[in-house]
Amino acid sequence: MEENKKKTAREIISSYDGPKLRIMEVCGTHTHEIFRLGVRNILPENIELISGPGCPVCVTPVGFIDEAVYLAEKCGCTITTFGDLIRVPGSEKSLAGARSEGAKVVPVYTPTDACRYAADHPEEEVVFLAVGFETTTPSACMAVRMAAEQGIENFSILTANKTMTNAYRALKGSADAFLYPGHVNAITGADSCAKLADEGIYGVVAGFTAKEILTALAVTIVRLQEGKPFFVNCYPRVVTDEGSIPGQRMMQEVMEPCDSEWRGLGVIPQSGLRLREEYAAYDARKKYDLPEIKGRPNPACRCGDVLQGKCTPADCKVFGKGCTPLHPIGACMVSNEGTCAAWYAYRKESIDE
Amino acid sequence: MSKTVTLAHGAGGRQTSELIHEVFAAHFANPLFTADDAAVLEVEAGRLAMSTDGFIVSPYEFPGGNVGKLSICGTVNDLSCMGAEPLYLTCAFVIEEGFPMDKLEEIAAAMEKTAAEAGVRIVAGDTKVAGKGQVDGVFITTTGIGRIREGVRTGGALAKPGDAVIVTGDVGRHGCTILLARNEYGIEADVDSDCAPLWGAVDSVLTASEDVHVIRDATRGGVGTVLYEIAEQSNVGVRIDAEAVPVDGAVKGVCGMLGLEPLYLACEGRLVIIAPAQEAEKIVEVLKKGKYTAGAAVIGEITEEMPGKVVMTTEIGAETLLPQPGGELLPRIC
Repeated sequence: MEENKKKTAREIISSYDGPKLRIMEVCGTHTHEIFRLGVRNILPENIELISGPGCPVCVTPVGFIDEAVYLAEKCGCTITTFGDLIRVPGSEKSLAGARSEGAKVVPVYTPTDACRYAADHPEEEVVFLAVGFETTTPSACMAVRMAAEQGIENFSILTANKTMTNAYRALKGSADAFLYPGHVNAITGADSCAKLADEGIYGVVAGFTAKEILTALAVTIVRLQEGKPFFVNCYPRVVTDEGSIPGQRMMQEVMEPCDSEWRGLGVIPQSGLRLREEYAAYDARKKYDLPEIKGRPNPACRCGDVLQGKCTPADCKVFGKGCTPLHPIGACMVSNEGTCAAWYAYRKESIDE
Repeated sequence: MSKTVTLAHGAGGRQTSELIHEVFAAHFANPLFTADDAAVLEVEAGRLAMSTDGFIVSPYEFPGGNVGKLSICGTVNDLSCMGAEPLYLTCAFVIEEGFPMDKLEEIAAAMEKTAAEAGVRIVAGDTKVAGKGQVDGVFITTTGIGRIREGVRTGGALAKPGDAVIVTGDVGRHGCTILLARNEYGIEADVDSDCAPLWGAVDSVLTASEDVHVIRDATRGGVGTVLYEIAEQSNVGVRIDAEAVPVDGAVKGVCGMLGLEPLYLACEGRLVIIAPAQEAEKIVEVLKKGKYTAGAAVIGEITEEMPGKVVMTTEIGAETLLPQPGGELLPRIC
């Protein structure tokens, strides 16, 4: 390993010739940057980069979209949501489909915008679709607190918030190491992942610039070659050991852990967040007495396998044919951080055409 | 005169003539500005270029300009791209009832100033007033005629393998400015529009080099869309060097936050120029001396490989496809 000290990150990556390594990134922004920079094009054959479940839109199960459509159509609610979710297919229709049939769906940029919208439209029952990881969840909690403090009674949220730690456990066999999502660790802290090394889950916290991503990859490769348990924080300018205490406190006060369904991964115990009992009035499932809705994903779509690295988007029969960014069949084709959408936009095949 | 535009201002009577005289004629005064049904123009023999464009930007004023300035620059630049010196413009206004008169004055003043700078004369106009809510503020359509410089032939189908690809300044500034001015993201940044009339720049380039293949203004869709259009029209490949593409630091920051590609954000004062590699240096040199083109740079080359595609050499030296334009601009959500 001594000779590696003199090499640049890129040289370490390109010159690797050891046993096959599988490294999984679990952040949509990493996925997008890795594609944009063309990182895969400099990898040797024996390093595989897998785009894991890191895009909140991608991991949101079909049943959640069905719940949102139900709230819009059967309960007459105004659905406020991040724009990406509008085009994600449900069992029968997407929110865009529901909107074209008369449902009210309003894109917002932040959860507090949704709460403000409710305050400005007291005649509407407003539901915000709370998806996202520890990065987005504090702001959803903030919106609920804002509604409670200001007595905004026509606002509630439909939660599908997820936490990463148990997802790493569920994905343990899918990769040799993780590129941990720097933005999530900025909230949860480096310690949350450092502890996982004792359970045989290894990885490196990565930043988002070209240099940071290459450095994190090179460090991962070197440490995997050493063959010992490891965790390295390669993004210390942003990620501290303990993370953001106010962000964590906000989540703990408003939400509590629950089991959660991930697209393709099924239900992962204690990997989600729901509103605490004292905020039940803002929980759309309780407020509208939502029945249990079981989503029926399109059987041709392999998003679930893609998210676990079991196949690449190109292995999916509908990829690029029935399923394109303009007409997505699976969630991974919707957001520009989705694996299939990134694969489609930057796909190597079109370079070789 | 009243403080706002009313439906009466569009009815053709006394208020209409008041509006035309006090706002438009006052600003657009020149010997050719017609009081009759059409302007009568003397034109030298030769090839003419003609172009028309509608401007409906929201908000109608933004850091670095307003819809008036934009409406002159847009048509002046379209003509300039064909190697045509802009001569005459007409403009048609559709104004929303209740539009503030002082803002209309500002728009007319910006048009006058920009037209004067571009050396183009506004020779005819039309004013309509639409009911509240039927248009958003003010919509302007300008149409222009220009005289093509002797011997100049430019066009999107003329790019040749080996040519250099030049941009005349940093990209994505106008699109970024408008995004921020809409105030939907809660982001503040010090960015102003690149909106500028570019005939002077084109004229100097055509004087410096007799061999220019393509000149395109990168408006809606940005430089990325223009490159894909040229790749297709000329049936060539385009290779660009990501690090050579000039992007303002603030624009880069905003794009990073929202997950946008600066190459796909609109410009209103930037040209893509394609010319043989041996001409590139003197073209860039002359552009660097220009008022609006000091940031000019060679960003890539035209290739034989991969016709119809734009390939980018990224910061890490890898090659990747510049994603095809299309789809909506969605903000990043985490």
